[in-house]
Amino acid sequence: MSNIKFSNVHKSFGQNKIINNFNLEGKEDEFLVLVGPSGCGKSTLLRMIAGLEKVDKGKIQINDKIINELHPSKRETAMVFQSYALYPHMNVYENMSFGLKIEKQSKEEIQTKVLRAAKILKIEELLERRPKQLSGGQRQRVAIGRAITRNPKIFLFDEPLSNLDAALRAEMRVEISKLHQQIKTNMIYVTHDQVEAMTLADRIVILNEGNIEQVGTPEEIYSDPANIFVAQFIGTPKMNILEIDEKDIKSEKIIKVLGNELTIKNVKLEKRKHFIGIRPEHLKISNETKFKFSPEIDIIENLGNEKIVYMKKDNHQLSAKISSGSEIGNSFGFDLQNIFIFNENGKRIKS
Amino acid sequence: MKTKNIIIFSIISSFFLVSLISIWKILVTLQGIKLENFNFQIIFLLGFLISLAHVIIGNKLNYILKLIIFSLIFIFIDGYLIQSMPIWYNIGVFLILYFFINKIKKFNNKILEEEHSTQIIIFDFLTLFGIVLFSFVILFPFYMMVVTSFKTQIALLVNPLDFSINFAQGFKDLFKSYFVIFKSYKFGKYILTSTIVSLGTVFITLVFAIPAAYAIARLNFFGKTFLSTSILIIYMFPAIVLVIPLYTVFSQLGLRNSIEGLLIVYTATTLPVAIYMLQGYFKSIPKELEEAAILDKLSWFGIITKIIIPLSIPAISSVALYVFMIAWNEFLFSLMFLDNPNSFTLSRAIQYLSGDAETPRQYLMAGSVIVTLPVLFIFVYFEKYLVSGLTAGSVKG
Repeated sequence: MSNIKFSNVHKSFGQNKIINNFNLEGKEDEFLVLVGPSGCGKSTLLRMIAGLEKVDKGKIQINDKIINELHPSKRETAMVFQSYALYPHMNVYENMSFGLKIEKQSKEEIQTKVLRAAKILKIEELLERRPKQLSGGQRQRVAIGRAITRNPKIFLFDEPLSNLDAALRAEMRVEISKLHQQIKTNMIYVTHDQVEAMTLADRIVILNEGNIEQVGTPEEIYSDPANIFVAQFIGTPKMNILEIDEKDIKSEKIIKVLGNELTIKNVKLEKRKHFIGIRPEHLKISNETKFKFSPEIDIIENLGNEKIVYMKKDNHQLSAKISSGSEIGNSFGFDLQNIFIFNENGKRIKS
Repeated sequence: MKTKNIIIFSIISSFFLVSLISIWKILVTLQGIKLENFNFQIIFLLGFLISLAHVIIGNKLNYILKLIIFSLIFIFIDGYLIQSMPIWYNIGVFLILYFFINKIKKFNNKILEEEHSTQIIIFDFLTLFGIVLFSFVILFPFYMMVVTSFKTQIALLVNPLDFSINFAQGFKDLFKSYFVIFKSYKFGKYILTSTIVSLGTVFITLVFAIPAAYAIARLNFFGKTFLSTSILIIYMFPAIVLVIPLYTVFSQLGLRNSIEGLLIVYTATTLPVAIYMLQGYFKSIPKELEEAAILDKLSWFGIITKIIIPLSIPAISSVALYVFMIAWNEFLFSLMFLDNPNSFTLSRAIQYLSGDAETPRQYLMAGSVIVTLPVLFIFVYFEKYLVSGLTAGSVKG
């Protein structure tokens, strides 16, 4: 039972401002995923929580207690590193019990804690092995086990799955999800992988250049993006963004997109440049859609269960995701509710 | 292509045989046998014919039969027709031919037909040639040292160039020099002093070098780059420059003729390289390990003793070995600072013996063997650590 709160946190390395006035309040026992392109400061944030980096300005609180100046070992956090960071000269049991041994806990107590963690992660039969003798997935399990034995208030994951191959990554993703259900604790998870973010998170924090672009549940992030960055960051292939000139803004409510004039309610469009976003999965070939256009088709990628169609229409590059069974004609369509409108600065205009 | 390969193979292999036989003949002359002529041409021709015959006969003849026939022909011509030789000489020649024919065994018809076989032949024999020649060059002085130490004063005076060992004289006489240097020249005490000084230097150097190397590898402090480069600059000073100032200082402090004084100087001279080698290795240890250790509530001291040192055993043992060898073999400082025979180290003691005209040469050589052997054994035993430690550290040195 714990929560974390950042207030006006700043951090810079030399001249480089990594984190700029960062504010965030975590909810109790939630699975928070920090996601963003590399170099956006997400790992730095995590390391500041763990105490491996100093906070320049502002404060970080766990359960309303300021932890800025607290030694890393007193913060009751546990971190799982990208490179596992298992001690190579100790076996799995020693790796998992090392922290407890330094705390001078009794042998029986250590044993029960380690065995409990091993049971949760199903690594009981590996306890005698050295890290060298384990596969990547097993090593990651041990690293998580080491975190569990410390019984932390907050789990910190620093891109824990990025060293694993695709199949194992999917498997471990499910394991981590189960783990969170099993031990209800606050978990903060850093990744650059949008699939991990979407599947694991209670709430996603999308970061870019040290700033929060949007915070929300996976559904909110997907269906209600705050700006072009968020809209394009989540979803594969990424959202089509069409640049609309001021001459295509016919009136305050009417906008011309791909040859169709759309009437949009509850907005006041200015006579300026705008951006229209539409996800590839919302471009359809059926005749049920309200608006249609006929593009020039460049390439069709067949992924087995679906096809990705790359096409061109009036200087706009578009991609569409359709089911693989469907025949591709020369007409595509879309509906009004799947259109996102952004102003010239990339901010969303909600209708 | 095939004839060319066969000819190249025969020429190279006969060169190899000539070098083997020549080394044997040199050793034989040292044993007191007078050779009228080395007969390179005849040996070369014989080697050429043997190689050729080996390829042509191929598998038509049993391998052992072939070996015996070739060797007997060679011995008959070399050791009987040209010059009559004692039986032990011919046994030696037989063993060399056995080794030689064993080496050329794999070059049969099939391999010589292949296009790149010339390269295989050249590289194969070049390696063999290098091994034989250089091991001879390196081992011969050591052999001389051992042989001389087993001799009596009279034997040395009669024929100083006789490098044979007379095993007939019995165990006690054979090792007489060794008994003498331990009894009358107090070599036991010198060994003890050298051991104390060397192990002490290793211990003190490691105690200082490990924290220093860790600081340079990991911590950020003012003047870090200056410090890490200046450490190596210290190493650039030749020892001879430091000897005289140190001599005056040590005289005044009363550190001359003392083990403590030597420990100070040896530690100072070995520390720079020790720090440099260790910091390179420490840098190669992933930083995450230490961060994990910090989260495991470990202090700085705990990180060094429980994480860094266990992981750096290869580097630390190679540094220890290096420091031990430097301290054990060090001569200049011990020559300058020690003039009381009670506090001599081994290398200083040998110099002391050789400076004395009365000391027979065989005692000197026995002393040299005693100086060399411990380092040799330690080196052979720790060699695997040394190599792995040096390469591992050099990646990010």
